[in-house]
Amino acid sequence: MPNYAMVIDLHRCTGCGACVIGCKIENNTPEGIFWAHFVHETVGHFPDVRYTYVPTLCNHCVNAPCVEVCPVNPKAMYKADNGLTLHSTERCIGCRLCEKACPYGVISYNEEEPHRFWRDDTALISGGTATPKEVAERVGGTVLPYYNRDREATYKGIRPKNVVEKCTMCDHRIARGVDTYCNTVCPSKARFFGDLDDSDSEVSKLLRSHSSFRLKEETGTEPRVYYIRKYNPS
Amino acid sequence: MSLQEILGSKIKRRTFLKIAGATGALAMVSAGCGQKRAEEEPPPAPQYSLEEGTWLPTGCEGCTSWCAKEVLVKDGRAVKIRPNALSKVHGDSGCPREHLGLQQVYDPDRIKVPMKRTNPKKGRYEDPGFVPISWDEAMGIFADKLIELQKNAEPHKFMVMRGRYTQNNQVLYDRFPKIMGSPNNISHSSICAEAEKFGPYYTEGYWNYRDYDLDNTKMVVLWGVDPISSNRQVSYYLKAWGDLLERAYVVTIDPRLSASASKSHAWLPVKPGEDGALALAMAHVILTEGLWSREFAGDFKDGKNRFVAGKTVKEEDFEETYTFGLVKWWNLEVKDRTPQWAAEKTGISAEKIINVAKRLGELGTHAIVWQGGGPNMQVRGGYSSMAIQALNGLVGSVDNVGGSIRGASVPSGNVPAPDDFMNELAKDGVRKQKIDQRGYKEFPALNAGRSGGGVVTNRVADAILAEDPYDIKVAFGYWNNFNFSCPEASRWDEAMAKIPFFVHAVTHASEMSIFADIVLPSTHHMFEQWGYMSQKGNTYTHAWLNQPVIDPVWDCKDPETEMVWLLAQKLAERGFTNLKDFCDAVKDPESGASAANEKEFALFCTKVRTRPMWDPAEYKAGDKFSGWEDFKTKGVWNSGEYPFKKLWGNFGTATKQFEFYSETLKNALTAHAEKHKTTVDDILATCKYQARGEKAFIPHYEEPYIWGNESEYPLVMVDHKSRFNREGRSANAPWYYDLKDADPGDEKWDDVARINPRDAALLGVRNGDRIRLVSPVGSLVCTAKLWEGTPPGTVGKTFGQGHWAYGRVAAKDFKKREARGGNNNDVLPADYERLSGSTAFYAVTRVRVEKA
Repeated sequence: MPNYAMVIDLHRCTGCGACVIGCKIENNTPEGIFWAHFVHETVGHFPDVRYTYVPTLCNHCVNAPCVEVCPVNPKAMYKADNGLTLHSTERCIGCRLCEKACPYGVISYNEEEPHRFWRDDTALISGGTATPKEVAERVGGTVLPYYNRDREATYKGIRPKNVVEKCTMCDHRIARGVDTYCNTVCPSKARFFGDLDDSDSEVSKLLRSHSSFRLKEETGTEPRVYYIRKYNPS
Repeated sequence: MSLQEILGSKIKRRTFLKIAGATGALAMVSAGCGQKRAEEEPPPAPQYSLEEGTWLPTGCEGCTSWCAKEVLVKDGRAVKIRPNALSKVHGDSGCPREHLGLQQVYDPDRIKVPMKRTNPKKGRYEDPGFVPISWDEAMGIFADKLIELQKNAEPHKFMVMRGRYTQNNQVLYDRFPKIMGSPNNISHSSICAEAEKFGPYYTEGYWNYRDYDLDNTKMVVLWGVDPISSNRQVSYYLKAWGDLLERAYVVTIDPRLSASASKSHAWLPVKPGEDGALALAMAHVILTEGLWSREFAGDFKDGKNRFVAGKTVKEEDFEETYTFGLVKWWNLEVKDRTPQWAAEKTGISAEKIINVAKRLGELGTHAIVWQGGGPNMQVRGGYSSMAIQALNGLVGSVDNVGGSIRGASVPSGNVPAPDDFMNELAKDGVRKQKIDQRGYKEFPALNAGRSGGGVVTNRVADAILAEDPYDIKVAFGYWNNFNFSCPEASRWDEAMAKIPFFVHAVTHASEMSIFADIVLPSTHHMFEQWGYMSQKGNTYTHAWLNQPVIDPVWDCKDPETEMVWLLAQKLAERGFTNLKDFCDAVKDPESGASAANEKEFALFCTKVRTRPMWDPAEYKAGDKFSGWEDFKTKGVWNSGEYPFKKLWGNFGTATKQFEFYSETLKNALTAHAEKHKTTVDDILATCKYQARGEKAFIPHYEEPYIWGNESEYPLVMVDHKSRFNREGRSANAPWYYDLKDADPGDEKWDDVARINPRDAALLGVRNGDRIRLVSPVGSLVCTAKLWEGTPPGTVGKTFGQGHWAYGRVAAKDFKKREARGGNNNDVLPADYERLSGSTAFYAVTRVRVEKA
């Protein structure tokens, strides 16, 4: 089986956020929930100051604390054969142990019915403007007018209330040989997905030619998301 | 979670950087990726398909990058957006903004049907009492008002206002007002960037934005421009940036730590308004160090450099090649502009100025000095624009490989000229003074060398209120929202309340719509209508079609063509047939037929306008197509390769040379002064400039003109655009706020004013405090953010929020007219760079900070 990983080239990354919006489109995630996200930091004092941006996502750790703590049998949060950390909405009991165990804060919980915005049925100008619900119904979307049905292939298209959700490394796309959507929409060509066990894969080549680091290496989680080079050229 | 937290307590920042800079051994061990894995049969692909539907070509006007796009449409529903990879400008690279289009087209607060006002009282807090009406009724009412102007022989009291547009605007924006007899087609251009074009025009004769040959450059100086975030060709720059940083030295000059500054090798935080000083000092260094381009600018006849600080040079000792007036410029200005002098003005040390200037001179012809609106959309910014562009002239990178270049012309056709459809009243009406006071003594607006040649958009509000040159009785605006987007926005509230009849064609009920008598629901340019747009980048120019890839979500129509056709029918019913005659004269280039309905009219106009691109019989340049269907299917035309150095010796200036002493500007200013029977000195004084005499015609230093005194208003306001703005039209998209902190220094779901912690300590302001920014003309309320990327003495704030209408997300309370965040235009005064007509957004006002 492949041993999937992602490599993010911070030198090429422009901090634009396209991966974050792309992920929201691909996975129909609610407002405030991000499977792909970023952290940023401003260090130093004027004029010697730097702004740094690091894209983040589920690290699909080899030693995944979220899987370890999942109390359900079989586990709702589980490691797939290809190395991905995946989640079953059906088996999830919403205990949120995984969310607490994740050192990276990339697991989210649906405390309320998702997409409250789009379920609203009030209009600002009666008869003159629409309601969110009306738009989605009119155009044939599911809750969201721009709902992406592709997501349903391997996960709930929209995850219900009282369960967690997280990045699946676009398992529905990569199973069909298509790149993850965050990578697809990255205008800066800074993200690479592939098989670590294949020495010809782009990720293997990049990790051979550049030094890399992973987030919170000291926790022993063995993330499968690697970062190469620096965001700031100066 | 902070970066520090997520990186882990054991990995301090220095370690992180060290690790990132270490050799590859570490990665190989941890990744275990050294072995070619054994060949295995891949598992069978699961039986479902992805991205079902059809990718249909169109384009995006979410910013002025104007990129060719494709939309994935399934069962009539738009699901995804991607770049149209056939474009040679951006290829397969998109941007974050394109995706926001989905939340725009499906925005619940879009207007569904035409509406009319039932409350005659107009004001921000008046409920217009909008009620739905039919298109028939809406156009009938509009036609009645236009007929009334005809009957009263005052057709010039009609005004068309344009915000964003497609190139089909020729119908609505040009032919329509002319046929109706009005001179008043008012664009938004001078709140966009006219001053940025001033320098390039009065040095090299180009009233336009430039393109840049990034692939071949060795140095880029970004000057008040943020190419990986906003303004032109962002998609291309997002892709090109990583490679550029490896190949070239990139410097950002900006009074804020911008997205591009964070991805540059050096950041020079120039004091607001002192850009001219910095540019002139760089010119001084290049000349005194002997680093100018001999090939482009020439040399001393004996080859000995006589440019010595403070010393004049004999003009006859120097022989220029493709430039004009270099020695005059040196003698009049540059000889005294030492880096030491500039250091005091700019806050940038002399050493840094010298380093950057020397590098620029040494890399010479393969170096780009790239200005945005920042250094020139200032009250005295016109000459800074010239000084900055003059640096490209000095190093010879103008029109050169790896330098500052231009776009190609796009082969376009025209709809029939208006003349045959204009009655005597109309012919007289169009000769009247335009409402924006362009060409008045205090508004030279010297677009392309002509007095009153350019628009003074923001002046219109004052002109309407003062009824100078006359009153406006009927107005039509589309895709514009001047009540939000123009500085001192409240004047527009008064002006629009004064106009007796106003029709607004827009996607959303915006601040301006609140003053409308009729609101017409507009199609979304990217998804629901025809049109075309062109833009340059990556040394190419492309032109793409806007196409109706989905049916309009609601009963929306395209303002530029469909609304004109519908109105023409109503006018004809009332006996005024001229506009209908014009519409009928627009023939489908393929069938020769006139349009039978508004949809056909939109299609025929588009085919006429783009015909030289798609019709093999009219082929002129660039990509070839077999016909309309072929063009429609591909969606984008590309120019041929850029011909470098073709302009050398043939610039569009009075002398045909690159002018350091601008005979072109001398002609323009002299003509404007003569028109007003006065002197050029008087014109400069009237336009708030300090220079007198010969300095009027050269790039020279002007002290910044900033509203408010330092004791009362201690901080200079630094306004700039968000990378998610879509020109201010995405403020009702939830994703805009979800991602807001990807604008460096900003916060999610908040609108912050960024203050340096040192200033904040003096002011007693803490992070997260609700504060009021107060300028001499107004105030806004937002949240304080202490941020080191803001230079002391300034306050940085992103433009985009502060809507009190526009929708349920953009406004905190749409019905009560409560804004979410604060609109920068509430503190910016309505002032101008008057020589270009441009509104001043930068270094234009000081503010003080109060607790809200």
